Amino acid sequence: MTSAGTEGRPAIAVAPYAVKLPIFEGPLDLLLHLIRLNEVDVADIPIAEIAGQYIAYLGMMQELDLDVAGEYLLMAATLAWIKSRMILPPSGEEEEEEGVDPRAELVARLLEYQRFKEVAEELGERTRLERDVFRARGPEREPTPEAERELEVGLVQLLDSFRSVLAREPMEGPGHHDVETEQITVHERMTAVMQLLDHLQTVEFQQIFELEGGNLPSRASLVATFLAILELTRLAAIRAYQGVNSSGVPEGPIRLRRCEGGAHWSERIAEVM
Amino acid sequence: MGGTKVHEKQKKIVEALILAAPMPISAQKLAGIVPRLTPSKAREVVAALRADYARDERGIEIWEVAGGYQLRTKPELSGYVRQLYKERPLRLSRAALETLSVIAYKQPATRAEIEHVRGVDVGAVLRSLVERGLAKIAGHREVPGRPMLYATTPRFLEVFGLAKLDDLPTLREIEDLLPAQDGNPLANGGQDPTTGLSAAVAPRVLGTDETTKGAGELH
Repeated sequence: MTSAGTEGRPAIAVAPYAVKLPIFEGPLDLLLHLIRLNEVDVADIPIAEIAGQYIAYLGMMQELDLDVAGEYLLMAATLAWIKSRMILPPSGEEEEEEGVDPRAELVARLLEYQRFKEVAEELGERTRLERDVFRARGPEREPTPEAERELEVGLVQLLDSFRSVLAREPMEGPGHHDVETEQITVHERMTAVMQLLDHLQTVEFQQIFELEGGNLPSRASLVATFLAILELTRLAAIRAYQGVNSSGVPEGPIRLRRCEGGAHWSERIAEVM
Repeated sequence: MGGTKVHEKQKKIVEALILAAPMPISAQKLAGIVPRLTPSKAREVVAALRADYARDERGIEIWEVAGGYQLRTKPELSGYVRQLYKERPLRLSRAALETLSVIAYKQPATRAEIEHVRGVDVGAVLRSLVERGLAKIAGHREVPGRPMLYATTPRFLEVFGLAKLDDLPTLREIEDLLPAQDGNPLANGGQDPTTGLSAAVAPRVLGTDETTKGAGELH
């Protein structure tokens, strides 16, 4: 899946960050984005080219040792299958499929998804209660739970933000940097992040990476911290939030805070490690 | 009481009821409370109130949402009204909006059907939509495994300012998304227009009961 020559190097030392990672809602969303980016016709997708770019994107996620969701991998397999079908001459045994473009099913799914994506955007822009308009409050009304007032941040936004953290650090040269001696574990970083959040109510996501002792943190250390944050999010020990401006657009830094009821995080960390 | 003229006392009562109702209040409900008011007369009374508000340039207006009437502040005043509340407005992620859209048009829909359209797992999003009262479980589909069916709620209509489901934005026809030309692959595609199921490619989302259907052809 990943490009050749990545073995034996620190997972992060490759520099794939030249490519901007927009926020994708899944493999179909990513494919639509690539189709638009390449200004090609959705009904006549240059499969080899698009598949190559798609796989490069997955490679980038894997370089970061992130779990690429199964659905992304399934789509990669589908693209490879279509590619092979486009190259192979039609075999006589599949008479009934003669003339059927191997891309047809994918195109149908992309268009189906696009329809709903558009409607979702329209829905998001509609005048919304408790954002744009307010009703008289009935007696039994309950306050909006805390979690609904801010945008919860997903993996890709975190990934994007982390990418800019990495971009801030000077790139390591081609020579090997001895990171092994630092002995940083994700577990340690998880504990450190939680202790930090014991003292502070909330911490800016990017700030966390500056709070690692006095030294300039190494890439391995940054990655360990990032993975610790992801793991803590998964354990529901912390939540990642972003504020929104008056028109509902995410704005300002991503912040982390402890979840209510996340008091037993240390036990949970111990369980997973 | 002249035939079409709106009774002033009825108008006052209707206004008070719309203001105090905890949920959008229907013409039927108004008719059940206000003396000598029929549902159709109730609609006339509401129209008269709306005309009053428009004439007087008030800060509030009457909306028809989720099958009933509701008094709301005008959208252009949101910046002021919001300062009353410390909390941030109702937030919905793209994942939530997309999932809601699929449910709204395909309801009742199973999780597998929603995941097929979006191409991703929707378990967590569905849970959150149900918790927020925007979607609900509407029974089971009577097929093996009896998967749960999801539908939108009146709260969904209320939040998005829709009087009824028919007022949702129109879903574009697939053909409209394609450049008009012959020989596009869709023309031969044999796709079920209601579900978009793809038998040949079938990159079904993990965990759905149909994952295996076309997976063998990938290898």
